[in-house]
Amino acid sequence: MKISESSPARRLLGLAYGLVAIGLILLFSASKGIFTRPVAGIFKGGGVFFWQQLLWITLGTGALVGARRFPYRNFRRLVWLLYPVTIVLLVLVLSLGHGRASRWIRIGPFNFQPAEFGKVVLVLTIAAYLAENDINRIAVFIGSLFLAGFPAALIFKQPNLGTAMILVLICLVIMFQAGLSLRRLLAVFITVLVSSPLLWITMEPYQKERILTFLWPQRDPLGRGYNLLQSKITIGSGGLIGKGYLHGTQTKLAFLPEYHTDFIFCLLAEEFGFIGVAIFLGLVYLFLREILSIIASTRDEFARLVASGIFGIFFLQTVINISMTLGLFPVAGIPLPFISYGGSFMIVALLSVGILANIAENSVMF
Amino acid sequence: MDQEKLLVNLVKISLGVLLLRSLYLQIIRFPYYSALSKKQSIRTIEIGIPRGKIFDRNGRVLAEDEPCFDLVFVPYDLKHPAEEAALVARYVSLEESNLKKIFTRQYRNPFDRIVLKKALTPEEVASISENAFQLPGIFVQTGIKRRYVLGPAAAHLIGHLGEVSEEQLERWKDRGLKAGDVIGQDGLERYYDDILRGVPGGILVEVDALGHHRRILGEKEMQPGDDLYLTIDLSFQKAAAESLGENEGCVVAMDPRNGQVLALVNYPAFDPEDPGKSLFKPGKPFLNRAIQGQYPPGSVFKIITEVAALETMTIEEHDRIECQGEMTVGDVIFRCWKEEGHGWVDINLALPFSCNIFFGTVGMKTGVSKILDYARLFHLGQPTGIDLPGEKSGLVPETAQSGGPLNIAIGQGALLTTPIQLLSLLSTVANGGNIWKPYLARKVVSGNGKIIRDVTPSLLRTAYVTGETMEILKRGLKNVVAFGTGGAASVPGIAVAGKTGTAQRGTEETGFSTHGAFACYAPAENPNIALVVFLDRGASKQAARIAGSILKKMLLPLEERGNGESSLSPEEENENF
Repeated sequence: MKISESSPARRLLGLAYGLVAIGLILLFSASKGIFTRPVAGIFKGGGVFFWQQLLWITLGTGALVGARRFPYRNFRRLVWLLYPVTIVLLVLVLSLGHGRASRWIRIGPFNFQPAEFGKVVLVLTIAAYLAENDINRIAVFIGSLFLAGFPAALIFKQPNLGTAMILVLICLVIMFQAGLSLRRLLAVFITVLVSSPLLWITMEPYQKERILTFLWPQRDPLGRGYNLLQSKITIGSGGLIGKGYLHGTQTKLAFLPEYHTDFIFCLLAEEFGFIGVAIFLGLVYLFLREILSIIASTRDEFARLVASGIFGIFFLQTVINISMTLGLFPVAGIPLPFISYGGSFMIVALLSVGILANIAENSVMF
Repeated sequence: MDQEKLLVNLVKISLGVLLLRSLYLQIIRFPYYSALSKKQSIRTIEIGIPRGKIFDRNGRVLAEDEPCFDLVFVPYDLKHPAEEAALVARYVSLEESNLKKIFTRQYRNPFDRIVLKKALTPEEVASISENAFQLPGIFVQTGIKRRYVLGPAAAHLIGHLGEVSEEQLERWKDRGLKAGDVIGQDGLERYYDDILRGVPGGILVEVDALGHHRRILGEKEMQPGDDLYLTIDLSFQKAAAESLGENEGCVVAMDPRNGQVLALVNYPAFDPEDPGKSLFKPGKPFLNRAIQGQYPPGSVFKIITEVAALETMTIEEHDRIECQGEMTVGDVIFRCWKEEGHGWVDINLALPFSCNIFFGTVGMKTGVSKILDYARLFHLGQPTGIDLPGEKSGLVPETAQSGGPLNIAIGQGALLTTPIQLLSLLSTVANGGNIWKPYLARKVVSGNGKIIRDVTPSLLRTAYVTGETMEILKRGLKNVVAFGTGGAASVPGIAVAGKTGTAQRGTEETGFSTHGAFACYAPAENPNIALVVFLDRGASKQAARIAGSILKKMLLPLEERGNGESSLSPEEENENF
């Protein structure tokens, strides 16, 4: 098949790398600030993060190229290997990890988070399962919930409430796309709502704190509510045109913690103002729109469901991450796709874009 | 497909909500968040809040700031908290276990300097400096400390400083205070805190969330507080403290012509430069007895009984009553302090001898309510309004709760007065009926010499009493010292007029003893000093002796009293007529 100059795959790649570029620009600014978090006991200079991210992008681009070339239909067979491996890795993280949050596995010089890779594997697995089975059969419905619920429970145990929640939501997006009746979907939501007190009991104290802090941020303005308040101050003080690139005070002076990872949207809002935010959200809209148009033009059910799951990852993480910085959602520790500093998710994101490009190029019927 | 359309709408709505929320925070709430952002990144490094000085009536310093050396530490820079705590404890009088606790505590801002101890001695400064290499994170820096010239001798009068409490922060929201500020916590330091406290100056720096100074933005000039000039006479205050010595009680003196307080001394007292160490001392060292102690006035109150009896014409000057040492009223036996009795006495003898039988009898004739009316006329039972915090009002009871005419007539029963109220009473008699409000602050002067406030005497009320009554009363008071119970207060060559007072104190459990009081004015014919000496436990004679010793120091030239301080200077004599 001949690919025209402005094919969906090219547009998708262009938009994705546009977002990656914005992320690098922001990380460079962040690296000019001082970092509050001591790495191995010493205050690490910020420049490290910029260069490391560049490395992740390179690795991620490799993954993207590979995923784009790989006959995507083979994924369908591969999941029976990938899914169990992911589960094993998640169990390993739990048993190897020490300290409060055990999320990483160390491989040579790299720390990698199985949970991030688990997102893509889960998308492929559930897509493969639902491409062959009718979601509106009770057994299939429960089966796919179990497929998502098992890794989600392991991740929840880490503890990482945010990612566990994302996993379940992605599963729901795919199920919806597979034709799950709205009534069933509603039933799932109601079940979750009813069982939430049970969830509350099993939550770690810090997770309870985060939710309480979200509901009543004034509870403790210098303690747990600090991030939320500082996040809002950072965004609000950006104004219409922002404080100028490299001139953010909130982030540079480290009033806002984690401004290179989960709160990097604040840096954008502070230095580029409302105009910057509007342009960024516009780009995100075009990117998500592009994925949805690929989904709409795909005839292959497996490919359609995979693309829907990936859409779910990008859409949910973007909206939840930004909502969190704007004080619309509890602080959940979910990175902003393409923008936040972090290796595992950057690779996963670019890999996912590769799969989408693959689908756009190979399963679209004109 | 329907599903995709739904998803597109979901994307539009979600991103739309995010955009609107950003709009709200960044455009509508911009002024609010912008101000917050600026506020937290700019900090003033305070150099200290310089307070105004406090001077006596002749311009002699009573309290001022002076530079000192403070021991400070930066939590982040401590290397070996335990060893350093031990070392510091060896050289500076601080508890080691306490230091360890302070050193290992979690600090929100570990880069901030925290004062461990103010005003080090030169030896302490030397030891810390010599061992500086073993004490990373601990050092000596210059600071400001308050010096009180008279120390404990004027502690209750001047007061002391202390860090503002949370409760005070809450109560005085509009005074521009913040946590950690040092304010006046007692006495004049507290009463005039707004005047004395300056505006802190300092260096404006941009700080990060850790308190690191990123760059200096400018300097804010400090504004020292205004100076306070008192009516107090440093020599008088000193003389009073010396004469009171270590008797629990107080001395308070004022000029009966205008209400200017000349001295106010209490014992036991605290060290105003380090009040903390007196916190648990016995004898209530923080109680300002002169204005906060409420006691039965005892025989000093016979002044009121006499005025009431004469003014209501219940008795005349030469009406006589026989004192046989005791009398029976109903089934109560009422005794005079003199067992064998005073014999036949009229009012001219009864006051000097303080005859209970005479005044008891006169009191019954006059009636409780009349006597209490005169007590109120002389402004008893309400605060005098002196410019010090915490003044008590004493108690002039209702007739029904008074305890009966016999008790009231001799200053017992339910009556309570503060020493300053007795002083006010004697001043009123001394000047013939004017009740002046006692005051301490004479003027407020700014740092550049401009007079900001000039306080003039304030007349509370005039107690109208006929000339004859006043004359009889004044003669009687003079005779108290000339040949009566107050002989110990006499001063050679100068007539002193006064009245002794003794009242029972204590309960069955603590054992009974007496309060002893002497209230007087001098010179009797042209008084410029009114003086009250009150002893928590002791005889009125002892109080009179102390009063006499103070008056000698203040009224007699140096050569005639052996040793002591100078008296009121001639120009002072003329200044306040």
